[in-house]
Amino acid sequence: MKPREDERLLYGAGDLDGLAEELDRVGTAFPRRINADPEHVERGLAQLVLTLVELLRQLMERQALRRMEQGTLTDEELERLGETFQKLEQRMEELKREFELEDRDLNLNLGPLGDLL
Amino acid sequence: MLYLYALSEHPAAVPPVLGLDDTPVAVERLDAVDALIGVVERERVEPSEAAILAHARVVDAVTAANDAVLPARFGRGYSDLDALRTAITARSAELDAALARVRGCLELGLRVMAPRNGTRGRDGSGSGSGSGSDYMRARLEERRQAERVADEVHAPLAELARAASRSVGATPELLLSAAYLVPRNAVEDFRARLAELGDDHPDLTLACTGPWPPYSFATTEAAPR
Amino acid sequence: MTEHLPAAQQDVTLLELVDRVLNKGVVLTGDITLSVADVDLIYVGLRVLLASVATLEQPETGGA
Repeated sequence: MKPREDERLLYGAGDLDGLAEELDRVGTAFPRRINADPEHVERGLAQLVLTLVELLRQLMERQALRRMEQGTLTDEELERLGETFQKLEQRMEELKREFELEDRDLNLNLGPLGDLL
Repeated sequence: MLYLYALSEHPAAVPPVLGLDDTPVAVERLDAVDALIGVVERERVEPSEAAILAHARVVDAVTAANDAVLPARFGRGYSDLDALRTAITARSAELDAALARVRGCLELGLRVMAPRNGTRGRDGSGSGSGSGSDYMRARLEERRQAERVADEVHAPLAELARAASRSVGATPELLLSAAYLVPRNAVEDFRARLAELGDDHPDLTLACTGPWPPYSFATTEAAPR
Repeated sequence: MTEHLPAAQQDVTLLELVDRVLNKGVVLTGDITLSVADVDLIYVGLRVLLASVATLEQPETGGA
C-alpha cells in the first residue's frame, strides 16, 4: 500500500519494525502463512483447526480468569479448569510439533487489529 | 448510491475535497445532524487502497473544518435520502450524545509492545508440573502483572483525555492497545506526557499515532472497556 | 514526502489508518454494506461463535 502523505506517528520509541510486523500480522483474520498448497492440504487444515482451538482456549482461559477474580469459582472448579487448560496446552504443543506449526502460525485475530480479546 | 463519510453537527462546513471515485462531497442537512455524503455510481465498494485513502481523506477534511464529527465506517451506503434520513432519525438521541462527546476533540491511538520473554512456560518449564490450581494462579498473576504495567502507561494518559478505551494483552506481543479522546489543544501536552512515560519504560515499544478523527468514539457504544 | 520516513513508521501509521476506517466509525442500521471483504464475513461469523461461547457459561452471581 502507498503511504499517506502526512506523518501521523506522534511518538515512537523502541522496536517499531517489530510492532509494524505484529500489527500487520494480526490485521488479517487468517494466519498469514496459511498453507493452501494442495500437497499440504492436511497441514493447512490442521493450521486452521488448531488456530480456532487456540483462540477458544485463550477465550475460555480469559473467562476463567475473570471468574477467578470475581471469586465465583469453587476450589474444585479451579483445580479442574487448571488441569484441563494444562492438558490442552500440552496436547496443542504435541500437535504443533506434529504438523510443524509455530505459535505465530496459529495467531488468529478477529476484527480490529487484535482488539477482540 | 449515497455513500456516507461522516456525520457532523449542524450546520456542517463542507470541505472542497474529492472523495470516492473523485466525486465531490455533499451535505444532507437533517435537523441537528448533517450527513456528509458522496453520490457514487456503484453498487459495491471494494476496500482497496484507493477507496480507503479516499474515505480517510474526506473524513480528515471534514474533521478539520468542523468541531463535532462522527466518522462513518467504510463502505456504508444508502439507496436514497429517505433511507439515510430514516437511519439517522432512528438513532438521533445516541448520535447527539456522541457528537457532544467528541466536540472539540481528536483521537490519539497507542500501541505498546512488551519484550518477548518465555513467561508462558511453553518452553516446558513449569508446564506439566504443579496442580491445576497452581496453573490458574500463575496465569492470573501473569495477567495482573500485564495489566499493572499497561496501566502505568495508560492511566496517566487517560487522565488527559475526555474518554479512553483500552485492551490489555490482545496478543502475546501487544501489551496495550488504547485510544484516547483528547481536546485539540491538549494534544501536545499528551505527546509530552507520553514521551515522559516512554523514558520511564525504556524496555517497552511505544507507538502513538494521530491525531485522528474520532473513529473509535463515534458511537456511545465505544465506551471504555 | 513519506519516502523519507523509515518504513516501519509508514507501516504503523498506515495500519492504524486502515484499522480505523475499516473497523471503527459509526454504523447506522438501515444502511447497505457496500464493501465486500472476506475479513468482514469471517469477523461477523466468529462474533456469533464467540457470543455462543459466552452463553455457555453458568450465570454469574457477581457483577459483570
